[in-house]
Amino acid sequence: MKTIDEDIFDLLHKAVNKGLELGANFVEARYDDMSLMTVNLLNERIREASTKLRKGFGIMAYFDGSPGFSFTPERNWESIHTTVENAVKIAKATAPRNKVKMEFERQKPIVDKQFTEVKKHPKNMEFNEKLSMLKRGVKAIEEKIQPSSTTGLYGELFGDKYFVNSEESEIFWQPLIVDLRIQAISMAEGKRANGIDGVGSSLGLELFDKEEYLPETIGSNAGKYCKEQSEAKAIKAGKQKALIGWRLGGVLAHESFGHLSESDFVVTGMSPLSDKIGEVLGTEMTTIIDEGTIPRETNGLWLPYDDQGIKTDKTVLLEKGILKGYLHNRGTAKKMNAEPTGNSRAITFMYPPIPRMKNTYFAPGDLSLEEALEQLKDGFYAVSSSGGQVGLDGNFLFNCNRGYWVENGEIKYAVRDSSLSGNILELIKHVQGVTKDFNIMTGYFGGCGKSGQFPLPVGLGGAELLVDEVLVGGAK
Amino acid sequence: MELEDIREKILNIADTAIKYARDLNIPTAEAFVYNSFETSLEENKGKVDSRDGIVQGVGIRVAVGKRVGFSSCTGFSEKSIKEALEKAHAIAKASPENPLFESFVSESKQSKDGILDSEILYLTPEKLADKVSELLYQVDKNDQRITGLAVNADKVVRGYAIGTTEGCLVSTLTTVFGGSAYAVVMKEGDRKTASEFVISRKNEDISELGKKAVAKGFQHLGSKPFNATEELPIILHPYTSSAFLSVPFIQSLSGAAYVEKRNPLGNKLDKKIADERFNLIDSGQIPESQSTVAIDGEGSPVGETQIIEKGILKTFLYDRMYAKAANTETTANASRGGMMGGIPFESIPSVSPRKLIVEPVQKNLEEQIAEIDKGIYIEETPIGLFTANVITGDFSITSNNAFLIEKGELAFPLRSVSIAGNYFKVFESFISIGNDLIQSPWPLNAPSISLEDLTISG
Repeated sequence: MKTIDEDIFDLLHKAVNKGLELGANFVEARYDDMSLMTVNLLNERIREASTKLRKGFGIMAYFDGSPGFSFTPERNWESIHTTVENAVKIAKATAPRNKVKMEFERQKPIVDKQFTEVKKHPKNMEFNEKLSMLKRGVKAIEEKIQPSSTTGLYGELFGDKYFVNSEESEIFWQPLIVDLRIQAISMAEGKRANGIDGVGSSLGLELFDKEEYLPETIGSNAGKYCKEQSEAKAIKAGKQKALIGWRLGGVLAHESFGHLSESDFVVTGMSPLSDKIGEVLGTEMTTIIDEGTIPRETNGLWLPYDDQGIKTDKTVLLEKGILKGYLHNRGTAKKMNAEPTGNSRAITFMYPPIPRMKNTYFAPGDLSLEEALEQLKDGFYAVSSSGGQVGLDGNFLFNCNRGYWVENGEIKYAVRDSSLSGNILELIKHVQGVTKDFNIMTGYFGGCGKSGQFPLPVGLGGAELLVDEVLVGGAK
Repeated sequence: MELEDIREKILNIADTAIKYARDLNIPTAEAFVYNSFETSLEENKGKVDSRDGIVQGVGIRVAVGKRVGFSSCTGFSEKSIKEALEKAHAIAKASPENPLFESFVSESKQSKDGILDSEILYLTPEKLADKVSELLYQVDKNDQRITGLAVNADKVVRGYAIGTTEGCLVSTLTTVFGGSAYAVVMKEGDRKTASEFVISRKNEDISELGKKAVAKGFQHLGSKPFNATEELPIILHPYTSSAFLSVPFIQSLSGAAYVEKRNPLGNKLDKKIADERFNLIDSGQIPESQSTVAIDGEGSPVGETQIIEKGILKTFLYDRMYAKAANTETTANASRGGMMGGIPFESIPSVSPRKLIVEPVQKNLEEQIAEIDKGIYIEETPIGLFTANVITGDFSITSNNAFLIEKGELAFPLRSVSIAGNYFKVFESFISIGNDLIQSPWPLNAPSISLEDLTISG
């Protein structure tokens, strides 16, 4: 149903005007009406079935280049009025101290109302349908292994976002994410093994009608990976040649390189990428992109606007090894003489927008997977990660929960829990080849954390990377 | 508004939400009402950002027999609360039974709130900006070695109330003030970072934090490479040991995970898992601790639990549902939002520690260092802690803030060193457990500790 609550736009315009009247130079007012659902099925018992309704106003006022942010969940003018007053008060109070002025170029107003139309929107689907997908997924594990414990997770997020600013922009769009994950744990003979598979996308539940994403397929994969892990062998620790799968590569692109290119770290000189535009940092094979609207069918995050009302673009961070750009909000773009990239994002109306990523990925090259494995010859095929840690200096350590040892270009056996570590700025100097396949994932579970704003949905992935050297940590 | 007005307001909303539940013919319901005044200000190289507002909302659990549903809403409006009640009711009706669920809390019994400081309520963004100014004023602006200094100050005045159709109506309040300084210093290509912080339930002076962080950073300049792989003892500063010892216990003390057979310590109950000097309690009643509350996330009065006694694992931590399943009593460890910092009113109760405390034994940091012939002293929290494998206990961490100890004295700062070992072995191999217990920002408070040979390389 295509409905816009025009009263909301009226309140937002009124808030912007009030802010200007109180002395602000610029005001951004937004309203979120979001609905989230989580279903967690643990050992076939519902551990959690919940919905969250998030509705409220966030007001950002600027005075002399200094921002002030306040928010309220109450939909009445009295509360909104107080919120605007607070935002202006903060902006004015911090302005004398603020040496890094976030002033920005005025733009033409954007008036855009976009509706999300998908075949099976989660809001039109019954709870039981969602629960039954989890049951089907978990059941399929048994085709491959007798698990000691199973988990099925379903998540959905959808709603309306309204935005108005002093340029008289008026934007409406509808975020959407669905996500299904199945996990199997086996403890046979005291040895713990873990297998997980899943998919998330900015599509409706029709996603799970595709053969490759049927709950049965996902569950069966989780069972298969778990079985592989239960029979896996340890890998020798030390420097190895490796093919980094798109899932792990996406995590690297996001966690390691992406965060370093966020303009708030760059503008304060905290990032090692500060003042390096135009420098050769990686091999010619290495291109890293951050993009807002990747077709829904490829499972990217659909993000047409950021929370400063900027249309998201395709931001080239690294092109053929050369540093090309950063991820900006309006203020840092002006400061660094660049165009805004649509990376100013807030997790909810309760937080101010800060530089965050969109869909971050390694751009595809020209190798088929077979050719990449052939070139690897003997080495480690590191497929996916369940987590890790990064530092602001580019150091990273990611565990690898699924990976294979390759000999003579052929996958030989599964490798037990291992890790990849190093520094991203070193790693991109070792990329020797990139596959032509392109995959991306987004999701409801997990997501990005920064300045207390967690979990923000992002997309990540890309191509698979052939590296001639990375430090592999093996299990003992 | 005064602190007691906040309490009255949230109790009132909880009571009203339960009345709405009755109006809507919902058989049993629990309302978790949350209100948090949050103000923060950070300054980094002259870039100032500030946030100020009230996070408020209601989390509703509805039970139809053993079928349970949860829904939450932001704000306290009648319309939103009723919508959440109806959604939670609809989910409960559509869900299969949860065999573990028994009931919501029926009694109004509560323990004590921690220290409350009404001054914190009046810390506006302007006042936080003043505090940050005082801090920066004490740092030498002309010192070329300081390449970065990020500082922040924040306040939270948080309260929650719980009401149930069974008759429980209880509340708790918390006031927290925090400040931190993170310094990046550099000399002749040697880059070091150091931090200082304050976290308290009272308004505190933070004017010296920047100066101290910078001075700490300077001590690490002129670092030399270790250039070896050796088995050596290590000594951890209380802040570092608090972070280091938090890791294995965050996931492995949950009674929920024990019942669900996911707990890595699941087969160690009543067995010796640590040195006899190692005693660990979980307390939600230390007046100074920022995690002290009168009631847990489902309304049970909070107390104290002895978890490890003389090295023996005595119990796990529980909420009502999992305690029942394990045939024991709740330890009042139901928490909302959990460790990952989710929004409390948007979260169902989950089991997590309040504040774990390692019982202090003897010797301060200096005395421990004096006893080491050759070893490593780690001053700041290393990276890689959270990649430890909690099942096998293996960890591999990296520290950029370590000193070499030679003949009982700090010899010189080290370039990056990695430290590898196994937590289960660590628990058996304390050289000393110190007497200098601190209030840490981590889930665990510990004194300094000295550990037997770990693999150091750099």
